[in-house]
Amino acid sequence: MAAAGLLLAAACGQGGGSGTQSQNLASDQTIKFPIGDDFGTLDPAQANSETDQEVAQNMFDGLLRFDKNLNIVPDVAASIPALSSDGLTYTFKLRPDVTFWNGDKVTSKDVVYSWNRAAAQQGAYSTNFSAVAGFDKLSSKPPPVATIEQLLAKNDPSVMMSGLSAPDDSTVVAKLAQPAGWWLSAITLSASTGMIVDQKVVSKDPENWWTKPDTAVGTGAYKMSARTPGQSVDFTAVPNWWGSPKPTVKNVHLDIIKDATTRETAYEQGKYDLNGFGGYSNLNVDDILRVKNTASLEKQLLLHPKVRTTWVNFNMVSDAQRSAKGPFVDAPGSTSGKDLRMAFALAIDKAKLAQTVCQGLVCVPATGGLITKGLKGYLGDNTDPLAKFDAAKAKSLLKSADPDGSKTKSLTYVYDPENPLNKAVAENLQDQWNTNLGVQISLQAESHSQFIKDYLSGKFVMNRSGWQADYDHPQDWFDNLFGKVAGCPDTNCASGFTSPQYEQLLSQADSKPLADALPVYKQLSQVLIDNVAYIPLYYSVGAFMIKPYVKGAGTNNFFDIWWNEYQVLQH
Amino acid sequence: MKGSLLYIGQRTLLIAFTALAVSSIVFIGIHRLPGDAFVSERLRPSQQQALLHQYGLDRPLLVQYRDFMTNLVLHGDLGQSVANRGVRITPLVLREATVSAEIGAAALIFTIGLGLLFGVAGAIRQNSWVDYALSATSVVGFSMPNFVIATFLLLVFGIWLQNLTGGGFFYEIGWDGAYGNPAEIIVPAFALGFPYASFVARLTRASMLEVIRQDYIRTARAKGLAEQVVIVRHALRNALIPVVTILGPLVIGIVTGSVVIENIFGIPGLGKEFVQSILNRDYNIVIGVFTGYAALIGLANLTVDLIYPLIDPRIRY
Repeated sequence: MAAAGLLLAAACGQGGGSGTQSQNLASDQTIKFPIGDDFGTLDPAQANSETDQEVAQNMFDGLLRFDKNLNIVPDVAASIPALSSDGLTYTFKLRPDVTFWNGDKVTSKDVVYSWNRAAAQQGAYSTNFSAVAGFDKLSSKPPPVATIEQLLAKNDPSVMMSGLSAPDDSTVVAKLAQPAGWWLSAITLSASTGMIVDQKVVSKDPENWWTKPDTAVGTGAYKMSARTPGQSVDFTAVPNWWGSPKPTVKNVHLDIIKDATTRETAYEQGKYDLNGFGGYSNLNVDDILRVKNTASLEKQLLLHPKVRTTWVNFNMVSDAQRSAKGPFVDAPGSTSGKDLRMAFALAIDKAKLAQTVCQGLVCVPATGGLITKGLKGYLGDNTDPLAKFDAAKAKSLLKSADPDGSKTKSLTYVYDPENPLNKAVAENLQDQWNTNLGVQISLQAESHSQFIKDYLSGKFVMNRSGWQADYDHPQDWFDNLFGKVAGCPDTNCASGFTSPQYEQLLSQADSKPLADALPVYKQLSQVLIDNVAYIPLYYSVGAFMIKPYVKGAGTNNFFDIWWNEYQVLQH
Repeated sequence: MKGSLLYIGQRTLLIAFTALAVSSIVFIGIHRLPGDAFVSERLRPSQQQALLHQYGLDRPLLVQYRDFMTNLVLHGDLGQSVANRGVRITPLVLREATVSAEIGAAALIFTIGLGLLFGVAGAIRQNSWVDYALSATSVVGFSMPNFVIATFLLLVFGIWLQNLTGGGFFYEIGWDGAYGNPAEIIVPAFALGFPYASFVARLTRASMLEVIRQDYIRTARAKGLAEQVVIVRHALRNALIPVVTILGPLVIGIVTGSVVIENIFGIPGLGKEFVQSILNRDYNIVIGVFTGYAALIGLANLTVDLIYPLIDPRIRY
């Protein structure tokens, strides 16, 4: 009783509750929401996660940006750049009124500096500049970040791409080594290598400038105002920001809470205005089900497709550097490997898998090819033959390719268990292959860190695989997953798949403007389907919670809507 | 007094050595784990290598160990996080350790306060309904893991109470500023401390039952002392000795138990780094967290040992 009394006393004074709502703005324009971890880095040259980019997109701008509908529109640039007739030279004109929040004016030299800096550091997205002349001359073993900074200050050619120039303060010229229809999409990727940083500030602390409110300088609508590592971060709207719409929300407070259910509970208690934002839209399925069954919460839930496809990967190549081998390998003059892959594909009821694993909420069956629904390159609903379920045909294929069952004995499916869905998927696959194909497979969990390393070096016969698109262009999928550009067959390549037809089509597609390239990319999808290079499983759906009084908050397939579009209504 | 100071000095040195030994063992262990901090689907092998080089993680392990220990011993510097780049680990771990210590200390107050209250009440009202009720509560408390208690408390005080009062009166998850406020601390501290309070209650009850049957208690009553004086001054003081003896292990349980509780209640202590830093292969954070826990447990045990002479004058340092 005494304990209960104390606990009741603790609850005193901590209240939430909602009042009546009007369309008037609240006097306190502060948004609060939880995120799951502290930032990896907000430095656009190094940022390599959705979570960091979701936040940093409010701090930094590039010449172009994706609008809400994923069209490329001018940002710091005054207009979409002119492209020369040979398809090699882009000329960007800058807006004259853009400044960093510290008052420094943005000039074309800042753009060239930022791009060279990002390319020279060889971060994860430095390859967004791989089409620019001179990128291939940069060292793949870069010197320390501080040394790069010193070299950039001296205009040292070892850290500069020869294709970039700034003929005057408001013009940037980018000359490509070869035509690349995808390049504008790549440099438009928010909070990444295409963003503009302030050399004056960065050069004073090249590694950690972005960690402190005083030096985390960008051109975005918000700036960092306080940070307690591992605990919380605050942002404030930049006064007299040059862009539009001008921010209504003045303060944004993020708390770092690791546990997804705790984040949701705190949101429901009224501590936060949003949940699922900042790259943490992976609410627990049980929580989403509960929310859907609670009248007062259901309307606050937003389920929106995100840009991730999950599939089963096979090892398709056997050579000295790939240790996996296995029955799915393509051998000259034999279709056994391909038939087995098809048998395993047809034996999975994808709709049943999505319903069982995701409760029909956080994923949908992948029926339109490798590229997620809603993105350029999507083949259309129910167009992927690998997504079909046909147990009889699967058994027939298995019988012809592996009559005595010796090839498919002792198979192991490997997955990384950190994402609970991966374990559920693995168990469902094991069950379906056993039921529909009569093949018993073992499951092996491997920690994510080691899993990624092993599967990109061809150590698994079959495993969980997936890709989250970076920008809305098919090149992002085909250059990074299959073929020689990705590193196949032996480096950085899960399946090992490449073929002369694939290489020829990819080269052709990558060089064309998007409209002309799309049919060729669709042929590439068909090549992957014809070779049964994957078993499509599902497309991911993100879950977001938004209080009724927060106007403008939301998401598109790729990113959270920018904070400067939010408003807090009276509540 | 001089002896006590010498004892404290020796123990402090021992704690420092233990912490260093723990950091060495963890250093070797975490670097032996497969995978590394910079693996991602997006990173090409050359880019990954560049990052490993930038953070000196491609150097021979012995060289890394030498530099790490030199920085730790000479400057108290645990280096910087590789998963959350730019974050210096020593101040992070120190801040988070104090948050964990704060929750742990509050939990210890529940453990001792409730444990003694329940134990003494059960003993002096032996075989009454009070005794049965408190014993039953103790059994339930000791049988349930702290994360079950935590979830239950969250459900009752956080959600049901909120619904019941229309959002006017409830326990709100959260943490205000660096060290929270009493209203935020009390529920997680209770969840953390209650299972051990149950244990202390059972031990106190048994110990008190033995003591209050002693001749000197009968003598105290015979010379007319008030019952309260007999219980508090004569019985409880002696009954406390076995309780204090198990405080050391209890403190360790409370400190390690905070890993789960901090995650459930979103408390920014050491516990929330524990699992994630291992999964992230954030080497120096893992080492820092383990070293922090080792130091915290060492200091807690020292504190308990210093309490002994206050309870039992026969013990001197």
